[in-house]
Amino acid sequence: MPDIKVTPLGAGQDVGRSCILVSIGGKNIMLDCGMHMGYNDDRRFPDFSYITQNGRLTEFLDCVIISHFHLDHCGALPYMSEMVGYDGPIYMTHPTKAICPILLEDFRKITVDKKGETNFFTSQMIKDCMKKVVPLNLHQTVQVDEELEIKAYYAGHVLGAAMVQIKVGSESVVYTGDYNMTPDRHLGAAWIDKCRPDLLISESTYATTIRDSKRCRERDFLKKVHETVERGGKVLIPVFALGRAQELCILLETFWERMNLKAPIYFSTGLTEKANHYYKLFITWTNQKIRKTFVQRNMFEFKHIKAFDRSYADNPGPMVVFATPGMLHAGQSLLIFKKWAGNEKNMVIMPGYCVQGTVGHKILNGQKKLEMEGRATLDVKLQVEYMSFSAHADAKGIMQLIRMAEPRNMLLVHGEAKKMEFLKDKIEQEFSISCYMPANGETTSIVTNPSVPVDISLNLLKREMALGGPLPDAKRPRTMHGTLIMKDNSLRLVSPEQALKELGLSEHQLRFTCRVQLHDPHSDNDTLGRIYTHLKSVLKTYSIQHVPDGTVIVESIVIKVTSSAEEPNLKVILLSWSYQTADSTATKKKKIQL
Amino acid sequence: MDISSDESDDWFIESLNTYKDLHVFQLEHPTKVIEWTGDKNICVAGYTGSRSEILELLLPLKLYAGENQGLCAERDFKVQHGGFSEEPIESLIHISGTRCVVTSGSSSSTLQIWDIGGDDSDVIKRTGVINLKSTSVKGCKIAPGLTDEPAVLHGSCISEVQLTEIATGRVLYTVAKESSDSVSGLQFVNACVFLICASDGTLFMGDTRDPSTCHYPLEDSKSGLHWAFGLRSDSSQSEPSGCTVARLSSSGHMLLSDLRNLQSPFCQTQLNVQHDASKNDFLNVSWAPVLDRCLSVSGKKCSSPQPVFSHRGHEMSDEAKYSGSPPVVTTHSWHQSRPKTILSVATDGSLHVWDWVDKITDR
Repeated sequence: MPDIKVTPLGAGQDVGRSCILVSIGGKNIMLDCGMHMGYNDDRRFPDFSYITQNGRLTEFLDCVIISHFHLDHCGALPYMSEMVGYDGPIYMTHPTKAICPILLEDFRKITVDKKGETNFFTSQMIKDCMKKVVPLNLHQTVQVDEELEIKAYYAGHVLGAAMVQIKVGSESVVYTGDYNMTPDRHLGAAWIDKCRPDLLISESTYATTIRDSKRCRERDFLKKVHETVERGGKVLIPVFALGRAQELCILLETFWERMNLKAPIYFSTGLTEKANHYYKLFITWTNQKIRKTFVQRNMFEFKHIKAFDRSYADNPGPMVVFATPGMLHAGQSLLIFKKWAGNEKNMVIMPGYCVQGTVGHKILNGQKKLEMEGRATLDVKLQVEYMSFSAHADAKGIMQLIRMAEPRNMLLVHGEAKKMEFLKDKIEQEFSISCYMPANGETTSIVTNPSVPVDISLNLLKREMALGGPLPDAKRPRTMHGTLIMKDNSLRLVSPEQALKELGLSEHQLRFTCRVQLHDPHSDNDTLGRIYTHLKSVLKTYSIQHVPDGTVIVESIVIKVTSSAEEPNLKVILLSWSYQTADSTATKKKKIQL
Repeated sequence: MDISSDESDDWFIESLNTYKDLHVFQLEHPTKVIEWTGDKNICVAGYTGSRSEILELLLPLKLYAGENQGLCAERDFKVQHGGFSEEPIESLIHISGTRCVVTSGSSSSTLQIWDIGGDDSDVIKRTGVINLKSTSVKGCKIAPGLTDEPAVLHGSCISEVQLTEIATGRVLYTVAKESSDSVSGLQFVNACVFLICASDGTLFMGDTRDPSTCHYPLEDSKSGLHWAFGLRSDSSQSEPSGCTVARLSSSGHMLLSDLRNLQSPFCQTQLNVQHDASKNDFLNVSWAPVLDRCLSVSGKKCSSPQPVFSHRGHEMSDEAKYSGSPPVVTTHSWHQSRPKTILSVATDGSLHVWDWVDKITDR
């Protein structure tokens, strides 16, 4: 039976990383190649031994597709392509291609330079890996090879995030990566057409949650900033240059305007150039509606937000500063943090995940004393706030996506089966489809029922209709007789005669013959006549003819009587019948009779 | 918070000062019930459409993080258990000390008994039914018994009120009152004493040790009004004396009575409410469990007297903007230990968790 096989790599209930293998129509595809951020050793890499025990992956994979730039989806890519070995194409959207290497390099620096690890990819490896990338545009079908094609869809979530449709012949799979179904101020909601894939693969990390509204998260952000500024404190917001910084800036600007606030807001210069780069990427990526909102305001001509100079960090009084890098692991944001950490009136707002080993990660874990260079300790007295703004689909979102795409089967990865039975029941009952939830390392086979479309000739159709019987019904198949012609890329069903005509062949007629001997003193003609009379009396329902040329014809069976001159009483009855009637009961009956 | 000023935006900006915490969620289907099943868990259930979901939700952990609230990014509800009911659910109660929940619906003549489930499965399973004498469109009113053996007090009209043991289906007590008045609410005060409030505002008090029931009709009862009631009991459950009953009519008449003297309310007031006969279903009055002498009302818009606080969040939601009529709050529930935290749900499926700022005491 044709099937699609899916194996999420990883072990047990591991949720930290995405790396899924799909086998469809003889092709092998790797979906995402994430790093597990919770481990410090080789467990953070996906276990590629599932694909092959030794050696390179190139011949085993037709392509690799990366959904977006988050490290738990692309963090192991350079390791896979350069250290394990893969030279085939790696597909991702343009923004992902632009942002990935920056994130990977940052991550590499933290892991190798700060933590001194050795089994890790190098800067050169990141560059070499990115050379293998083939960028994707939204809604554009890309032929990976003659049989395999892929298409990217908008996923929301972060800049450049895509859901991907993979198609081989009439079988297809859609992988969602991370997505969100509620529109976001600057990213919009995921969208896909009713492509009816055989299988829809989705993450289930947030499947059993009901998400707090974006507005409330924004409200909390403004509230914290406002409270700190009101009491004369300083707010540090470490950001990743190519992420949500712009969104948060617009939010603050609007708020400052409305509340007529005077405290200064600064944006570090390192961010401005990168931000313009981000802006350009972003504008070509988003849809018309969102683009219009952003074109109305030039990204960095804010009334209340000014460029930062490092000397400002020592100014007295309240202020808000956006600075890079986002995890407080180096650079300007760390410098400012060191200056402000000792004052409890101040606040640091971390807008995202921080990798282990960074100051960001430590303070988010409640650490109050940090060891700095030269054995100096830093007391963390300022308020630490963790605010997550990333948009994910919850239970309702998954149902909406299924309604949109209409898959024939559903597969959820990274969920604990016993904690997802209700969702599975819900999906199965509402959509009458099967829902699979494999554990990591487990392979699921989904049987597909690919339909093969065939053009049928009008004549053949008419002939079939003329035979009567029930009308064609998808649920009650009818056997029919015809010839299938596979030419170029088309499949046609025509009558045998037409097929022969097209092929320039003539039809062969096969006839079987058999000789029966019997003794009869009469003449040949008389013998034949007796046979004729006899047959007429026993085979009443059949058409029997006695033709003057000396043959008796029963339907398609021809009977002749001959004898030799030497033995006139030894009659040889020649029976001949066509191939078509060879198996009919009538023929058998007649044979027996004779 | 767009650049264009919207009433909704104004409200959100205002909320920075008026609310301590504000969380806004959107359920897939609206609910008429919020029932606590644990310190941090509630059950909600759908009432629209023939197949309804019952969900047990874990409240956002951020609410419980205390001093470490800043470090906790968990702001979402988690669906811990879920199940399907074949009918829209009008009422849902939890039997304290168990994982058992009883529901009544608008179409069947039975009460459904469910096991909300433990750690090994997330499916809420039906474990039995209790047969009722009749079907009521508004659903049979139900209340948990307060004895050790799980039981449920139920009835849609006064004469049909009875106490049934859940495990066996045995009828433990029947109200011997020949009244066809419909029940608006009922509740046990302690293990034996219970109160029933009829739709016309009449109170009935019964004791499972005593076959007779006393009734206390209103002094001047106007027809066409619907009454809701809320019971506040003293933390020490032994004597019913510390119990206050609040009754609220659909025209805004509020009565407070002490259980020792149900005949004459000790306090009366008139709230200025929108009189809309069609919206009586969601009239709800509750006592704050921690705050002293504090009552909350939902389901009706009240303009005076000036309340301590008015939550307009449901009207101001994004969903409300696009629909024709503003959503109506179907029910609300006080948090069991946090003094000023309330959960409220509305007809558009919104679920809010909020903690208001008391301008006098909190500043």
